[in-house]
Amino acid sequence: MSMEKIISKAMEKAQSAQAVMLSTETSTVDFQFDRLKAAESSQRTQIDLKVIVDGKVGTSSTTDPLDVEGVVSRALEAAQFGSPANFDFPEPQSLEQVQIFDPALLTLEKPEMISMGQQMMDMVKSYNPEILSGALVQKIIYKVDYANSKGANYSAEHTAFNLGAGGELVRGTDILYVNKGLGQKQRKVDTEEIAAQAIEYFRMAETIVPIESAEYPVIFTPSGLIALLLSLGLAIDGKNVLLGASPLRDKIGQQVAAPCLTMVDDPTIAFGPSTSAFDNEGMARKVTPLIEKGVLRNFIYDLDTAGRAGAQPTGHGTNRQLTNLVINPGESSFDDMIKGIEKGLLVHEFLGLGQGNPINGEFSLNLFLGYKIEKGKLAGRVKNVMLSGNAFTALKDIQAISREREWVSGPFEYINGLIPYIQVGKLSVTAK
Amino acid sequence: MREQLFEAIKGHDVEYVDIRLEDLVNTWVIFRGSDLDSIGSSRTRGGIVRALYKGGWGYATFNDLSDLKKQVKEACLTAKLVGSGTTYFAPTEVVVDSIKAELIKDFRQVPLADKKALMEAYNKIVLMYHEKIQTSIVRYADSFKSIWLASSEGTYIEEEVPDVNIYVGATARDGDVVQKGFEAGGGADGYQSVEGFHEQAATAAQKAVELLSAPPVKGGKYTVITDQIMTGVFTHEAFGHLSESDFVYENPQMQELMQLGKRFGVQGLNIIDDGSHPGGLGSHRYDSEGVRMRKNYLVKDGILVGRLHSRETAAKMGEPLTGNARALHFHHPPIVRMTNTYIDNGSVPLHEMLKDIDLGVYAVKMIGGQTAMEMFTFSAAYGYMIRNGQIAELVRDVTLTGNVFETLHNIDAIGNDLQWEPNGPGGCGKGGQHPLRVGLGGPHMRIQNCVVGGQQ
Repeated sequence: MSMEKIISKAMEKAQSAQAVMLSTETSTVDFQFDRLKAAESSQRTQIDLKVIVDGKVGTSSTTDPLDVEGVVSRALEAAQFGSPANFDFPEPQSLEQVQIFDPALLTLEKPEMISMGQQMMDMVKSYNPEILSGALVQKIIYKVDYANSKGANYSAEHTAFNLGAGGELVRGTDILYVNKGLGQKQRKVDTEEIAAQAIEYFRMAETIVPIESAEYPVIFTPSGLIALLLSLGLAIDGKNVLLGASPLRDKIGQQVAAPCLTMVDDPTIAFGPSTSAFDNEGMARKVTPLIEKGVLRNFIYDLDTAGRAGAQPTGHGTNRQLTNLVINPGESSFDDMIKGIEKGLLVHEFLGLGQGNPINGEFSLNLFLGYKIEKGKLAGRVKNVMLSGNAFTALKDIQAISREREWVSGPFEYINGLIPYIQVGKLSVTAK
Repeated sequence: MREQLFEAIKGHDVEYVDIRLEDLVNTWVIFRGSDLDSIGSSRTRGGIVRALYKGGWGYATFNDLSDLKKQVKEACLTAKLVGSGTTYFAPTEVVVDSIKAELIKDFRQVPLADKKALMEAYNKIVLMYHEKIQTSIVRYADSFKSIWLASSEGTYIEEEVPDVNIYVGATARDGDVVQKGFEAGGGADGYQSVEGFHEQAATAAQKAVELLSAPPVKGGKYTVITDQIMTGVFTHEAFGHLSESDFVYENPQMQELMQLGKRFGVQGLNIIDDGSHPGGLGSHRYDSEGVRMRKNYLVKDGILVGRLHSRETAAKMGEPLTGNARALHFHHPPIVRMTNTYIDNGSVPLHEMLKDIDLGVYAVKMIGGQTAMEMFTFSAAYGYMIRNGQIAELVRDVTLTGNVFETLHNIDAIGNDLQWEPNGPGGCGKGGQHPLRVGLGGPHMRIQNCVVGGQQ
């Protein structure tokens, strides 16, 4: 169905309307237990409609492109009881030129994807044949159409390419899982590099070492930094700020992290995993400074929360989700950071993320993949260990940031970002 | 629909094909703080074709139902690209059946205005409860799903799956301390299951306020007593996932670790997964492969006696079918999942369990849990210290962690007060399929030497 048709149908009764249509085609090959297990072709369409009637908002969605009447009438019904509209849909805006489409992915077919997966699996097997290896190769082509009654009308075609490699290693009652993935909007992703990183995490875990309960310096890997970023993300969410639930609600312009920390949200990076030019509310996406030299710069607002808070919408969609989180590199090398630690931890993956009271910053996480640092060297994997602390205290206690940065993205990650290794002064470790 | 599905399957050129179509209508009302956050409804239709060829699976998932034959063809082509080995697929009875929803009060007939008014009333109770209540969240959701399953073996099942649930959360603040309380409810039998929730709304607010003055638990090793819900979470997270045979069936080391007949816990420890439990959140007549759900013992008197299977894993391991291949919705193929998992009643009353504990932790209700096979972690909503055999002061941030093999052996008392977790939103996540409805339960339980996270 055409976007104009939905908008004009809705406008018979509504004062304002917007529609977003997402059409996706996905192709996936999945390797498990050393062999090609399944492959999938997937087609999806979803249409989301939002209307404002008599100053109240109603929403509805459908997967049936022929269901114009249904989706419009359900949105209109919801609007009768809807929340007051604290906003109107935006006028047409000028959008950034972004690189989101790689024609090289159009010609990538399943047989070639299968050989890519096989190659990653072979590499993991050749490091250690006892690992039961796995791999994932996924290609996505999707189109986003946006239209509203103010005349904004955008359309974007995206490509995406996701890779994953890893496996499991069982020794007695010790079970080790490693998965390394990467997602970008272009085909230029190095399968060997991903397999090599997965192997590195297996290698570091070859020996299991004991650790005593105490406070230690802790280095977060780019993936592992989610332990702190989860709380930060919740605290800068404009809705939590508006509701008074964010501990950072009155901290704009104030020091909330060590002066060495600078991060922005950048939706414009060429072929970045979350790069796009407009959000699902018709707002142009742009770079948003979050923390500058430790000072908090912005909260994330959608149309509704911005309207209620008297703030500007930031172009992060109705779920106020960050796009590509970019943290500035530091001055240390990762090797020097390890060398400088007498006794500490390198932490990569956790169990229990988001449990407890994440908005308050408090975390208590089981270290799923954590490594002991001893006398400036990685000594081996630690197990049955809880890492506890407060994310906001830890952000102020950053001791070093690495020059090296890695993309965190793809099927196994919670966020997308270009992130360095970050060392925190001390955190509490409880060991069995 | 029946003819349409069999017509689409007809003439396939692989070993097995099934089609599952779904039509889902859902409605939601969400309050956050004093404002209505979102209200609306949506309709989702779609399907998945699975094709099996020489041990390889091809899937096609789609919203566009106009050309099912094309989807079958795509799945078959894909399966032939993948398959090059031996097919393992346990035979099952061909069934033709139709399961209708039985609703006491049909939520589809309740006007959206009434749903909104009821949630608004619960929300007011939370917000007015105490001056330290900072904000609230009240989330209502209902869904009515129709499912059609047809296989190349002749199985044809129609099923209606209704679901209604409510979550009431309260956030209290005192200076920099923010604490939460919540209550959840709902069910598969109609709108009445979310009515009369006023008292629970007050309880959620009360708990958030009480927790403001509760200290965090000190990290360390304790004797821990889990309440019924935490026992359920433990059973699901720590043991249940290990019983899902897709982790085991192609992994010789895991098979050795999870060998049937091995002792996993004390005499009197019985762990069961029962998809036929009446009214259970994870109950259905058939799983997503059309296999009848049933009661399956996983551990009997401390001995591992069974595990959960799909048709593929059962055939591969030469074990009986259990009816545990479940799909979240049509975007996904069925994978091995739990249904309603619980530890059965033992004989030790709670006061007996407490009696000998000088210093311990009583963990109550759950926020969540996660497992990586032998390692698990789960968070209680709150806890109490146990001092000199008595339940003492309230504590917060209670997170338990451990190794399942050690911890099961460390269970030294099993209560006689089995309860199921109240129906609420949420469920279990695995392989990107979240949240799948599952039931959890058990009696009070005592665990020796359990690690509780936190500052020293």
